[in-house]
Amino acid sequence: MDFNFSDDQQQLRDAVAKWVEKGYGFERRRGIEAAGGFSREAWDELAELGLGGLYIPEDEGGLGMGPVEGMVVMEELGRGIVLEPLAQSFIAGALLAGHADADTKDNWLPRIAGGQALVVLAYQERKARYRLDVCDAKAQKAGDGFTLHATKSLVPAGDEADAFLVPAQLDGKIALFLVERAADGVAARGYGTQDGSRAAEVVFDGATATLVTRDGLAALEHGVDIGIASTCAEAVGVMDQTLAATVEYMNTRKQFGVAIATFQALRHRVADMKMQVELARSMSYYASLKLNAPAAERRQAMARAKYQLGVSMRFVGQQSVQLHGGIGVTDEYIGSHYFRRLTQLEMIFGDSMHHLGEVSARMQDTAGVFA
Amino acid sequence: MDLSFTPEEQKFREEIRAWVKENLPQDISHKVHNALELTRDDLQRWAKILGKKGWLGYGWPKEFGGPGWTAVEKHLFEEEAALAGAPRIIPFGPVMVAPVIMAYGNPEQQKRFLPGIASGEVWWSQGYSEPGSGSDLASVKTKAERQGDKYIVNGQKTWTTLGQYGDWMFNLVRTSNEGKPQTGISFLLLDMKSKGVTVRPIKLLDGGHEVNEVFFDNVEVPAENLIGEENKGWTYAKHLLSHERTNIADVNRAKRELERLKRLAKSEGVWEDARFRDEIAKLEVDVVALEMLVLRVLSAATSGKNSLDIAGLLKIKGSEIQQRYSELMMLAGGPYSLPLIREAMEAGWQGNFPGGHPQLAPLTSTYFNMRKTTIYGGSNEVQRNIVAQTVLG
Repeated sequence: MDFNFSDDQQQLRDAVAKWVEKGYGFERRRGIEAAGGFSREAWDELAELGLGGLYIPEDEGGLGMGPVEGMVVMEELGRGIVLEPLAQSFIAGALLAGHADADTKDNWLPRIAGGQALVVLAYQERKARYRLDVCDAKAQKAGDGFTLHATKSLVPAGDEADAFLVPAQLDGKIALFLVERAADGVAARGYGTQDGSRAAEVVFDGATATLVTRDGLAALEHGVDIGIASTCAEAVGVMDQTLAATVEYMNTRKQFGVAIATFQALRHRVADMKMQVELARSMSYYASLKLNAPAAERRQAMARAKYQLGVSMRFVGQQSVQLHGGIGVTDEYIGSHYFRRLTQLEMIFGDSMHHLGEVSARMQDTAGVFA
Repeated sequence: MDLSFTPEEQKFREEIRAWVKENLPQDISHKVHNALELTRDDLQRWAKILGKKGWLGYGWPKEFGGPGWTAVEKHLFEEEAALAGAPRIIPFGPVMVAPVIMAYGNPEQQKRFLPGIASGEVWWSQGYSEPGSGSDLASVKTKAERQGDKYIVNGQKTWTTLGQYGDWMFNLVRTSNEGKPQTGISFLLLDMKSKGVTVRPIKLLDGGHEVNEVFFDNVEVPAENLIGEENKGWTYAKHLLSHERTNIADVNRAKRELERLKRLAKSEGVWEDARFRDEIAKLEVDVVALEMLVLRVLSAATSGKNSLDIAGLLKIKGSEIQQRYSELMMLAGGPYSLPLIREAMEAGWQGNFPGGHPQLAPLTSTYFNMRKTTIYGGSNEVQRNIVAQTVLG
């Protein structure tokens, strides 16, 4: 039982925090959002810190680290509401390292680690909502390889990505494929999303695909679970900043001749926010520490964590806006950008209602951190 | 970072589990698992079994005869006892007054009082709240006047939990009206069999007799029963609260009661009702999150790093969870939670409960009883004040 970070983990945190503070200020972020929501330059800077290869083994050019280091990094990126989807490299790194053949690994992993290749999950389909087992995409054997027909939505930085990990039906089962964006038959239509980041609708029309694994659903679930744990950690960073900004504002803003931080009705709201932040941090730890557990236990833990984080994010975001008053709903103020980010983070990889259903369906006679 | 207990801690857990299984009387655990009424004898029987083993004062250091367990070991002991259906240790002696006597009592007082607390022979009560002093505890008025080698105590305490069984009572009494209210309070131990002590029951909304009013009419208390210095009692009382006490969250009992809620939901046919089941699922997440919070505090206490000043959060969340599971159990019973048949809340009742499910008999009374948890021990609103102070300044 130990929730302290090692010296190495603390150094990693400090390095990322320093980059966020010095390299990813609000003005730069604002510029990136205005320019579309993704900056290859910022992406390269993250890669220079080695972060793209965090989940990738050292002999494939990565850092060979794991969930706790991933959590530390994502908390800090959350503090800076960084738009570039680093967690996608965690997912792609882990899935390719775990399932792909040697050639595919050698071809992609060093480049993901180095930031030259942006590889993202493209799994969202219109009818699926948050269900991972609903998949209309179809793959066919074609010569030595495969071709793919699919339409996938909300693919992170989809029109900037170099390749996609795509689940599709093959012989009556979901398999996972790697498809390059430059391949014939791939069309990505990019757009901004509510938090200022970038996504794309990607259509695969007979595109050439490389099989990663025939056990695609299990791999997709694993990838999404890395995404959930990363999102939880990122959300903790955003919430820490949100609460800090709220506290600072309440001690500065005066009404009726006194700082609004003196009003008990508002103070109790802040106590409730603190509660949600600490419950969220606890469940983010829980998610990351369960990420290497057997699949059923891992899935249950992610559902519990994402439910808590979703509830916390919505509460902290909404209360922060309310406690700020009018300034809280302006675009100019950073707080509204925290709120937008929190809102989006609740809704990726499954919102609170979805995960409550998952928790409900997975309930056993006993329950607890160890059950 | 590591979520697992060490092999030594696992071994410790196994030992505790085996011992509790061997020594916890089944008639008592049956009552606890079914929320049936526990008598004074039940509570004291278990206390004495623990006392004989040296575990009633399970949080005590070795120098005072305790086991000298770490924060994690204490937690594991609480968990194994709770899940096995042991009653809560009545905290007033071993958990509340004993640490004050250890820290501020003189050697004579330690020798005189600690053995009776450790063995479970002497039942202690708490004399804090007064009719005019609830959350504002520093306003206590019960007066202790020094006359030679004794104090003359006059006044009234209230909400004295299980005071009808009490042998001794620790009190916050006013010995001075100078300066701030906090500076005129003393910590006085009082024999409840003394002349002038009257204990009157307060009947609560669940029909039970759990708390009392205690009146002092010129009660003579030897001055040797004063802990530490006169007018320093507030400091000693705060010492009691300042310990990182994760047991305030009562997460282990919550885990046990969540299991009971699931059993009830199944037997009453609401387990398959998505609306009801989702409420249980929410509670399950709450319990896991609270347990993680507790484990974080334990880790901080064990390592001495990243200390967490979140006792207020533990109290708020823990009490809300207690209220919620009692509420959901009552709702699981539905209309059959409504018959008020007091005998059916006692073990061994052979009567015919309406609808045929006597396990529903105590549900509503327990729900009523649990309203206390957000009020006592510093109301949850006072806790929010404390949390807000640490966040906002």
